Amino acid sequence: MLETINLSKSFKGKKVVQDLNFYLNDGESVGLLGPNGAGKSTTISMISTLIKPTSGKIILNGVDAVHKPGEIRSVSGVVPQELALYQELSAYENLKFFGSIYKLKGTELEKAIQQALEFVGLEDRKKDLVKIYSGGMKRRLNIAAALLHRPKILILDEPTVGIDPQSRNHILEAVRALNQQEGTTILYTSHYMEEVEQLCDRLYIMDHGKVIAAGTKEELLSILSTEDKIKVELSRIDEDIVQQVETIEGVRKIEVAELQLRIIAAKGSNLISKLVHLTEQHHIQLINFHTESPSLEDVFLHLTGRKLRD
Amino acid sequence: MKSVLWAQFLKDKRNPLLILLFIAGSIVATLILGGGVQSVTTVAIFSEEANASEIEEKWGALLNTNDSFKFEIVDPEEAREDVRDGSSDVAVNLSEDDYRLLVSKRMPGVSYVEQHVASVFQQEVQISAVESQEDGNVRDEMEEYLADAPFQLESQGVDGEQIPKFNIRTQLLFAFTFLISMFIIGFKVNNVTQDRVSGIWDRMILSPVKKTGMYSGYLLYSFLITMLQIVVVLIMFKYVMDYDVGNNLWLIILISACFTFGMISIAMLITGFVRTPEQFYAIYPSLIPLIPLVSGAYMMPGTITNPVLLFIADLFPNAHAMEAIMSVVFYGAGLQEVTMSLLYMLLIGIVAMGVGINLVERRSS
Repeated sequence: MLETINLSKSFKGKKVVQDLNFYLNDGESVGLLGPNGAGKSTTISMISTLIKPTSGKIILNGVDAVHKPGEIRSVSGVVPQELALYQELSAYENLKFFGSIYKLKGTELEKAIQQALEFVGLEDRKKDLVKIYSGGMKRRLNIAAALLHRPKILILDEPTVGIDPQSRNHILEAVRALNQQEGTTILYTSHYMEEVEQLCDRLYIMDHGKVIAAGTKEELLSILSTEDKIKVELSRIDEDIVQQVETIEGVRKIEVAELQLRIIAAKGSNLISKLVHLTEQHHIQLINFHTESPSLEDVFLHLTGRKLRD
Repeated sequence: MKSVLWAQFLKDKRNPLLILLFIAGSIVATLILGGGVQSVTTVAIFSEEANASEIEEKWGALLNTNDSFKFEIVDPEEAREDVRDGSSDVAVNLSEDDYRLLVSKRMPGVSYVEQHVASVFQQEVQISAVESQEDGNVRDEMEEYLADAPFQLESQGVDGEQIPKFNIRTQLLFAFTFLISMFIIGFKVNNVTQDRVSGIWDRMILSPVKKTGMYSGYLLYSFLITMLQIVVVLIMFKYVMDYDVGNNLWLIILISACFTFGMISIAMLITGFVRTPEQFYAIYPSLIPLIPLVSGAYMMPGTITNPVLLFIADLFPNAHAMEAIMSVVFYGAGLQEVTMSLLYMLLIGIVAMGVGINLVERRSS
């Protein structure tokens, strides 16, 4: 349905997005994951035709969207990161305005407003001014404004930034319902790994303007399938025991946090028994230990050496 | 375009206080700074010389030749107290051949008083100089001669009727109305930048609304709301406060419309140079009060003679609008006589609008 080929964007000579190859199938839910400044918003702006790429192509159903932006604009709805709403107007008035710019009129417009308000759960507060809304309600209205013309593709740029967990869940549920019940194709950017994990069928992980990994969640997690992540809690920790743990065969990385050791080691390195033996030698009590499944956060850490929210 | 226009109107409908304050501001500024309803301004005169009463009577008679002022002899202490506490703007301390103005603040009316007093004293100095060299009653001879001078200048309005007298208060009415309207224009045109920053502009770009329609919506609304302010203020002064704004209100409104278009374009030009609404608010209000000042809108016509200032004034619609309106109000000029001024304003508007929109578009791409 939508494809980008070697998409790049530079601002004043600085490459913000480099050779991005990306595709989005009909009815799919795809996530664009990356830390702040990874180039996600610029990618979204290019795909939605708000800014022109420096080079590369955006193809929608075989049509070059860079030169014919009308095609993609007519089928997509964009939820910007910022709250693009008139704060001085009510939710209803805002939606009436955004519906009317999409040439919706009369009963068709009223119906679209009603459906959008119901969808984001704001029908009871439609007459209230946006400026008195909570952050979460504003975010929900921000989404509703992009749904009025019933877009086939919904592009959401970090729609849950700065809101409470309850509103976040509401938004995630709404997006999931759009995808699963209405068949809307979703392109969702976030730097919250758990949101993308929860919502998306496929993921693209971006860093420094490049896609560093792509695939389904399972495919991405398999990058770490050769490693175990173990947390060990001890009665005390000294430098000596840390050094000795580091020398155990298979240990790749070790982090110390108060009385806890976080160890990444090669699978099958028989780490637990060696740790038990070592603590006995040092007369240290092993209070607790458990192994963890790797997360997308770990995948990002593995690929970039940084955490997503660094 | 209609949707954009409607949204702008709804915002002001929700919060009409700003527009109402601006309309009230134009009226109050004209009344306070222009010296109230078209009444004669009373100016206190006094002398502290030994022959004070003689000096006061002599100069009182000579000064009271302008219908706009009434020079009243008062006690020196009372005059000083009035100026000090602000109940009068100016008082004149007279001496035999000289005067001093007592001023607490530089109000626009003060310079008008100053000009009148200076011209009376200058004329008297010239007559005294001639009298000192000639015998006989030179003053009477001069008056007789002037009454039947060999060359007589007769002034007529362009329609052949008598020229109405120039009135600074009427000029100030338009000057302040235009000043306030420039602020309204700024606030409204800045909505373009505000909506660009908030992301609403991007939403419109992605919609089927054309760029022309978007700009037209914002600019037409700025135009309509500014014209509302100007027309309300003019009607108020003409019909409620009985100001003499001439008999051709439609032509004045047409001139105001061209001025508004020109100033909207200047605001759009400034919009092209800024990135945020805050930057616009920092630049525009600092620049705008200078335009009427340079254009001489608060001064008697012809006060500004510096060619550089005159050139700068010509670059803005204010000078052309004031010139055209003064011609219509005081000299009964018609559409034909003010066409050049209208064309200048339209030209300024077209050039500034073109450059401004171009800069905005370049910035966004």
